Formats: sequence, C-alpha cells, structure tokens
Amino acid sequence: MNAVIDVQHLKKTFNNETALQDVSFTIKKGEIFGFLGPSGSGKTTTIKILTAQTDKSAGNVLLFGQHASEMKQSHNRKRFGILTDNSGLYTRLSIEENLILYSNLYQLSPSAVKEALDFVNLYAERKKKISQLSKGMIQRVTLARAIMHKPELLFLDEPTSALDPVNTQHIYNGLRKLNAMGTTIFLTTHDMSEAEILCDRVAFLHKGKIRAIGAPKDLKKEFGSDTITVELKNGEQEIIENGSQDAEKLYQWMQSDQVTRIYTNEPTLGDIFMQITGSDLV
Amino acid sequence: MNISMTRIQAILMKDYKEFSRNYAVSTMVLLPLIMAFLYNRLGANTISMYFLPINMTFSIVTTYVQCSLIAEEKEKNTLRSLMLSPASLGDILIGKSLFVLIVTIVSVTMAIFLVGYEPANLFILAIALLLSAVFYIALGTICGLFAKSIMEASIIVLPVMVIFSFGPLALALSSAYPILKLAEWLPSSQLLLLAEALEGKYSMADVLIPMITIIVWSLLSWIFAAIIYKKRMVD
Repeated sequence: MNAVIDVQHLKKTFNNETALQDVSFTIKKGEIFGFLGPSGSGKTTTIKILTAQTDKSAGNVLLFGQHASEMKQSHNRKRFGILTDNSGLYTRLSIEENLILYSNLYQLSPSAVKEALDFVNLYAERKKKISQLSKGMIQRVTLARAIMHKPELLFLDEPTSALDPVNTQHIYNGLRKLNAMGTTIFLTTHDMSEAEILCDRVAFLHKGKIRAIGAPKDLKKEFGSDTITVELKNGEQEIIENGSQDAEKLYQWMQSDQVTRIYTNEPTLGDIFMQITGSDLV
Repeated sequence: MNISMTRIQAILMKDYKEFSRNYAVSTMVLLPLIMAFLYNRLGANTISMYFLPINMTFSIVTTYVQCSLIAEEKEKNTLRSLMLSPASLGDILIGKSLFVLIVTIVSVTMAIFLVGYEPANLFILAIALLLSAVFYIALGTICGLFAKSIMEASIIVLPVMVIFSFGPLALALSSAYPILKLAEWLPSSQLLLLAEALEGKYSMADVLIPMITIIVWSLLSWIFAAIIYKKRMVD
C-alpha cells in the first residue's frame, strides 16, 4: 500500500492525562483525509506528533515510511506544509517579504512567491504589511506559505475558518488542483460541509479516540436511515422507506397531485458524529 | 548539523528588517552611544571610565537585542513556524546571532570613538571584544529562551546588565568586601584588565588569561543555550 501516513495505536499523555488513546489510521498518497472532532479532542496534538513538534507516548507513527521524529530533518521538512491557527507571520514585514523569507528557507525560485500569491488571490495586495491585514487575509497568506514549496503532504488546521464564501471557494478550487497534482491533504475542520466537499475519507475523533472512519458516503449509508420525507398538501409529513410498497404509495400521491415537497433523510456528517459520540462537534 | 548560507542570510535579512521597524528595540542602540558621548564630555581619561559605555553596549545592545528578537519570535509564534521550515537550529541561531554581532561591532566601534578611547593595541583588543560579543550573544539567547514576551525580556535582562556592566566597578570595593573579588572573573572585568595591561608592558599571561576566561564563559553559555533551546522548543 502507498501510505503517506501510517499511525498505529498512537497514545499521548500529558501529566497523566490522556490526550490520544489507541489512535490508528492510514492515509494513502493523493488522498484528502478529514480529521473531525470538537475542540480538545486531540486533533492538534495529532498534527504536532505527525510534524515532530511533540513526541508520542506510545504507538507507531510513520510518515513517508519514516518515523515521525525524522520529520525534524531539513530535507523531510521540505516534504510537508502546514497551516495552523497561529499564523507565525512577521507582522512588521509585508506579505511579499514574509513569503520571500520562506522561499529562501526552502531554497525556491523567485517565481514561487508569485505562484503562491496567485493561488490565494493576494498578488495585488503583496506590499501590504501583515499588521494591516484582516484575519481572513492572514489565513490566506499562511496558506500561501504552506503550499509555496509544493509539498507532498499538506496539514491544514481549519483552513477556511476566517474566510468569506468567495475566498473559501477560491481556496477549495486551489486545494483540489493541488490534490490533483498529487498532494496528500490532512485536514481538520469543524465545517461538515467542507469535509463533505473536500474529503475522500474522514475520521471522527472524540476524547482522544477515533470513533468512526470511512468515506462520507459510506458513513452516511452505515449510520443513516434509507428513508425519504414526503410533505403533502394537507400539511401531513409522511416518512417512507425505500421499497416497492412505499414507492407505490408515493406514486399514488403524485398522481393525485398531493405532494408539495420530497426530500431524503440522509444524515449530515454532524448528525452522524452526534449519533456516535452523543455530543456536538463544536 | 545541517547549515545553509542561503537560509542564514534569509534569517539575517529578516531580522534586519524587523529590527529596523521595531523602534522600541532599535532605539536602545543609542543609549550607550549617548552615554559614551557624555563620558567624553565629562573628561573620561581612564580605562575603567572608557570601558563603562563599552561594557554597557554589550549588555544593552548585544544581550538585550538578541533577547528581544528571540522573545518576540516566541511571543508571536514565528519561531515555531521557522522550526517547521527546513531552517535548522544552526541556521536560526547563526542567522540571528550574526545580525546582532554586526549591530554590536558597529555600536562598540562608535562607542569607542565617542568616548575618545585610543587603544594601545587595537588588534588584541579587537579579538577580545569579538570574543566578548560572542559571549553576550549567548547570554541574550539564554534570556530570550526564558522570556515569554518582549515585556518579560526587558525585565529578564536587567540583572544581566547590572552584573556584567557594573561588575568591574565592584572590584574597587573588593578590599572591604572580599567576596566581590569574584567579580574579577566576569568577562567584562577580564576585558577591562586586558585593556589596562595593553596600555603598559604586558606578558603573554596578561593577554591569554582574559582571553581564555572569556572563551570559557562563551563556550559554557552556548552549551547552556543549546540545551535550553532543545528543551523549550519541543512540547
């Protein structure tokens, strides 16, 4: 198997408090993997372990077939990019100066800065200082920095949380383009629609444990009911199951022009998360 | 350790831009220079008077600037971002220290000129000053790693300024308080003793002992700084 990330029985404790417990998952090359969970569920700790910012307590963590601790090496750091909620940008420098610094650290060609700025739609604003930017713009600069060196693996922690819909769409398109070029994406988000739009597979993390893992479609099939709701003109709502008998009923209502609205009862990822864990995602 | 000149240069240039736009820190450079000018006007004519603004330059400029640069990187989370880039510990520390070294060389040269000091042996003194700068940069690195913000940095360096800038003055009281004899082994005192020796007939020991003392202080400080860096920068 072509696994970019292979995590087996990962455990992390901080002062006798368990942050992660028996966490196992594998991410294949070219996949967009969503890590979903409420605040404090262990998402950021997982990213920190994967990027060698903190050590694991137990388990096996491999990135590109090497132990996660090897990600401290300069040549391995070139293989991944990371966007977190802390931008880590130099506020007295301009957008362009920040990106030039990182393009030099990654030893990239000067055109990489322009490409990254175009990717996040900020080329026209490149001379602005970071201290003058909105939270959304800072998020876009951080993303530009994360993708500038065209990493094989991209860690995104809530990438569109501060963005307006137009820029969110712009980022989605860019991420799809990056993914199509072979970049594997590890994404944490609270936004269920974002996970559904972008992710090939998702994992639900709750209190340091993975509660479910799979493709959004498969999870919906597994945890949702195969029913549709029919709203009738007399105000009644009928829930019918997918079957020949119910199909006949629906046909009769439609024949007699009694139907106002029909919709599926497919659960959202948020509904499934609540069903599995008994708590909300926020 | 993986060291790259391109990355060192990138960090040095970044620090220069940040420093030149951070007036709260960059204006501190002027303080020992003003003091050197005033001492000259007051008629400074002894080595210990000449070295008061010079030693102050080391603690106010070298240690404080290095400490502030590191503390601010920590406060604004930029150090973590640097550490997630291909920049190694060596690249980051050398890039930063090189910038502070350049600022120090310019400041000390100006302080020497402004205070009106004309060293008898410029070559030996320049080596000792350079070694002292290396020590004070290490001291600034240690302070910066302990400080969580620029505000904290300006408090943490205060004892350093007092001990290392005014330490040589304590030697005058050592006959009354023998414990103060220890101040003789401070790098600032050794620098002063070396400069005094250079003014007359000096032996090899007069030059080597201060040099070796400053080198030992530098080495120990850098080892300590590296240990603290590794400890503090991993969660």
